[in-house]
Amino acid sequence: MTERIRLMVVDDHPMWRTGVARDLVEAGYDVVATTGEGRQAVRIAGATRPDVVVLDLQLPDISGVEVVHGLRAALPDVRVLMLSASGEQQSVLDAVKAGATGYLLKSAAPDEFLAAVARTAAGEAVFTPGLAGLVLGEYRRLAAAPEPGPPALTERETEVLRLVAKGLSYKQIAERLGVSHRTVQNHVQNTLGKLQLHNRVELTRYAIEQGLD
Amino acid sequence: MTTAAAAGGLQTPLWRAIVVFRFASLAWALALIAGNVRDYVRPLAAIPVVVVMIGWTVAASTLFARPERRRWPLLITDLAVTAAVLLSADLVIGREALGSGTPGLAVAWLAAPVLAWAVAGGRRLGVVAALLLGAADLVIRPQLNQASLTGTSLMLLAAVGVGHVTRLAAIAEARLQRAVELEAATRERERLARDIHDSVLQVLALVRRRGASLDGEARELARLAGEQEAALRRLIATGAPPPSTSGVVDLGALVTAYASDVVSVAAPATAVPLPSAVASQIAAAVGAALDNAARHAGPAAGIFVLVEDELDAVTVTVRDDGAGIEPGRLAAAEVEGRLGVAQAIRGRITDLGGTVRIHSAPGQGTEIEMVVPKVSA
Repeated sequence: MTERIRLMVVDDHPMWRTGVARDLVEAGYDVVATTGEGRQAVRIAGATRPDVVVLDLQLPDISGVEVVHGLRAALPDVRVLMLSASGEQQSVLDAVKAGATGYLLKSAAPDEFLAAVARTAAGEAVFTPGLAGLVLGEYRRLAAAPEPGPPALTERETEVLRLVAKGLSYKQIAERLGVSHRTVQNHVQNTLGKLQLHNRVELTRYAIEQGLD
Repeated sequence: MTTAAAAGGLQTPLWRAIVVFRFASLAWALALIAGNVRDYVRPLAAIPVVVVMIGWTVAASTLFARPERRRWPLLITDLAVTAAVLLSADLVIGREALGSGTPGLAVAWLAAPVLAWAVAGGRRLGVVAALLLGAADLVIRPQLNQASLTGTSLMLLAAVGVGHVTRLAAIAEARLQRAVELEAATRERERLARDIHDSVLQVLALVRRRGASLDGEARELARLAGEQEAALRRLIATGAPPPSTSGVVDLGALVTAYASDVVSVAAPATAVPLPSAVASQIAAAVGAALDNAARHAGPAAGIFVLVEDELDAVTVTVRDDGAGIEPGRLAAAEVEGRLGVAQAIRGRITDLGGTVRIHSAPGQGTEIEMVVPKVSA
């Protein structure tokens, strides 16, 4: 890689922030900014142009979803890897729908974390079993809702997502289904993509209905 | 009079209503006395009785206003004064006039102690007071007729009604109190969770994180810090699911309570509502499956639980990535009844009309899938 990947770390705890940033620098990343506030993160994103933002969902000023929205507005191509403690399911789901592509528990091991950053930087979706369960639940909720044209998963995508939710690695899933690792990866990515697209369509429709277009 | 002690706030309006009743009924009684005084045998004797009635109405209203005074001495005095006024009619009005239809002295004023007793002690005390005053009323009546019994039965009705309302007020008060306590506890818990999240957890996580790259004792310390971090996270994340009042509980919340550093739970973000009996059976089956996984999968294995809310069924899968079971062994163990998993899980799930599928292979862990149909309520 000729150019180093630019990272921003957003976490309201200074010790954690410094620790994570140091790990990332040691791993060869260019940490261009660290901040503890969501608003500031959105503000400096435009100037520092990170490729990946490592974002703690629990920030003191604005919600994680708002930060993801703000970041994506400032830098449409930015990739967001969320970190959170457990027990924040709805906010994780909302942030994913807003455009975050990765999610990791804060209790994840350091090598797991670095792998997740690398995959996020490479444009891959990073799922925990918990996130897969949330996404699966969201598709089912949308399918049961009365709104027209809900996004739907193909049978294969549902199958893959269920296996991710049951804790199988992509490699194990590929073996079990007799497909390539890359195919599993694509399926997972598609499930997120459709959900995010649906969310954007919904937001647009809402804006038009409210006369805000 | 325990109900009185339990229900301060919501009883106050009832006591105020009794004061209003005392004055209104006093006015009515005085009007009747003024109108009929010519028929009394001893009209002048009515004056002290009227003074006592006015005096006691004012005194009782003031005395009953203090909750700590609403006890036996005051209640009995109230009843005694009223009974005395009632009985004095014999002397003031005379048997003959009473018999020919002249109203008594106390009339509706008679009912005030009944109401007071009913509010202070519930239906039973109210009924006792109504019967006592009713009996006194009968004593001065020359003959037993429908009119004399009507007064007593109306007092009984009032006693039962007011006593019932008082009990409801006490219950409502207790519930309100509990709700307020719960809310305060929840708020306190949230505040603690925020504080712990902002401080202790971050430090523990950092220790675990930095220590993981060190050797020997430091690494062990880091591992311990990590365990404590996970335990603490669980503690602040999983509040007890709110007690169900509608008989419907969230299966997601019940199952999420099993999450730990080895058990990962995936569930929809929205609630999975099920009748509480069904949900607790499923949760118990999940518990049995987790025990089984912990016993057979080996200490290094991770356990994953997935809760899925489908249109017509709920599916819960418990999977471990442990050693797995050889194809023949599972069935054999089940036949021998050695596998607790069979009874504890199959029994519960089939009782709910559901199915259990166990899938396992050596090296691939064990997967127990429970599907329970949703029964339209």
